[in-house]
Amino acid sequence: MFKKVLVANRGEIALRVIRACREMGIRSVAVHSTADADSLHVRFADEKVCIGPAPSKQSYLFIPALISAAEVTGADAVHPGYGFLSESADFAEVVGKCGLIWIGPQASVMRTMGDKVAARKAMSAAGVPILPGTGAIETDRAADEAVERIGLPVIIKAAGGGGGRGMKIVEDRARLRSQLAAARAEAQAGFNNPTVYIERYIARPRHIEVQVLGDGSSAIALGERECSIQRRHQKLVEEAPSVALDDERRQELLRMARKATTAIGYRTVGTLEFLLDENKKFHFMEMNTRIQVEHTVTEEVFGVDLVREQIRLAAGDSLRLRGDLRPRGHAIEVRINAEDPITFAPSPGVITALNLPGGLGVRVDTHVYANYRVPSSYDSLIAKLIVRADNRPAAIARLRRALFEFVVEGIKTNVDFHRRLIDHPDFIAGRLDTHLIERM
Amino acid sequence: MKKAKAGSKRASGAVDFETVRELARIAAEFDLAEVEAEPSGRVRIRRGVAGAPVASPFDPATPARPTGTIALLPSAAAETGVVISSPFVGTFYRAASPETAQFVELGQMVRKGQVVCIVEAMKLMNEIESESDGKVVEILVKNGDHVEYGQAMFRLSQG
Repeated sequence: MFKKVLVANRGEIALRVIRACREMGIRSVAVHSTADADSLHVRFADEKVCIGPAPSKQSYLFIPALISAAEVTGADAVHPGYGFLSESADFAEVVGKCGLIWIGPQASVMRTMGDKVAARKAMSAAGVPILPGTGAIETDRAADEAVERIGLPVIIKAAGGGGGRGMKIVEDRARLRSQLAAARAEAQAGFNNPTVYIERYIARPRHIEVQVLGDGSSAIALGERECSIQRRHQKLVEEAPSVALDDERRQELLRMARKATTAIGYRTVGTLEFLLDENKKFHFMEMNTRIQVEHTVTEEVFGVDLVREQIRLAAGDSLRLRGDLRPRGHAIEVRINAEDPITFAPSPGVITALNLPGGLGVRVDTHVYANYRVPSSYDSLIAKLIVRADNRPAAIARLRRALFEFVVEGIKTNVDFHRRLIDHPDFIAGRLDTHLIERM
Repeated sequence: MKKAKAGSKRASGAVDFETVRELARIAAEFDLAEVEAEPSGRVRIRRGVAGAPVASPFDPATPARPTGTIALLPSAAAETGVVISSPFVGTFYRAASPETAQFVELGQMVRKGQVVCIVEAMKLMNEIESESDGKVVEILVKNGDHVEYGQAMFRLSQG
């Protein structure tokens, strides 16, 4: 097992990894920018290194500083968390070349899955259904032909994109060419790769994803998560299991995910994201080759520490979770963001008062505390509130209670927004789709 | 945080990083405060004193030090002069090699643009220059220590 892990991230996920390390008897190294010197991940790590100024490009995204920090502290492995460099095959390769272990998948798998066109191809070859769509679209004529074949509406996506960024929905044939040009320009600007492809657009899908773990030779699928509650393609509420699936559909989905994970020789934790259309058909969307924000709901219903398993797998251990793993009860996570509840603009500043909810079945993953200054340089996630109960109605009641106790003063947050959301009739009834928030 | 001091391995002028790495590993494994190996073959080790706090830039017990993004810290400047801080994470060296003289000594006058130390990062030796004229009144880091981004290394008095 590793002696010392450098956590190349910040915020709640850095703390999450540091906690797992401490429980496993592994020393942890926190890295931080000057803006994060007072963050909890820095306080609770065994060692800390300031790697640069506030802008991510000069700190959390700056590979030389991260490698140098690993070298001076004598770390033997690097955990990338989510976001930042977690899906950078280049960083994974540099880590390996410096004699460090990357706590994540093989760089080649990251490269394939990071290219959405290549990912579609790989998943299709592994027997996973993909949306009707194309490979890389090179010309306007190819786009015309694709729309002819697929039918409107379609969505243009960046091959190098993901996480809901760089997408254009085309409902009007006359606007196809201009949308294509705009998508290419955005893809180039956002992902340094102008390649785009076209898929059928599903108007009101559910977003359902499967947590997978692999050790290179075998794999398991640890249930699904429903992440349909989104705003501008950013997830806000996640739950496990999904109310949209009966046991037969669930087993079919999990079998498919396990098979695909084995087929690509996957050797860590990951997530296969699917869209469930109006006819209850699954379509592969993308694979996230890292731990996800919402891994917590899977942990709660399966009683598994996913970060611990991820570290074990990176150290070369084989899968030890076997057999018929079934979720117990229902878990829901809401993302608490420092943002204006009306305009959704980020709201950085000092948290003057804070009360985090507690009690049975309540978990809060956060790096903030009273008098903490939320920096303006990073994303607005300040806490994840997770509840677990015997069933979905009980989980919603517990979530309502926990949100009642959640007090953040000094900055604006979306706590009130969540209170309203979970009382929406469609949410209570489990009628979820990616446009529910727009109907609020 | 244990430190591996391997300054004297840079005898030929070029640093043998394999050896430095190996010494660091040995130091960590046997809980040594210092390992010093000379080209003559003489090896000196020093064991960390049990329970004694080891001064280190990464000691979680020490409160977070202010890390400025600029070399000049205005608030401290009035009473303490100018601080030269590290522009990145790395290892601090006071001389280009063990044979050569240290770039600067305590009490010495330095000029703007003068090299005051080396910070090694990613196997590259980076010469750090003073950003102003002044007299070295404090050297805040020991040869071979790790430095963080923004960590103060020298204090200069002006005027």
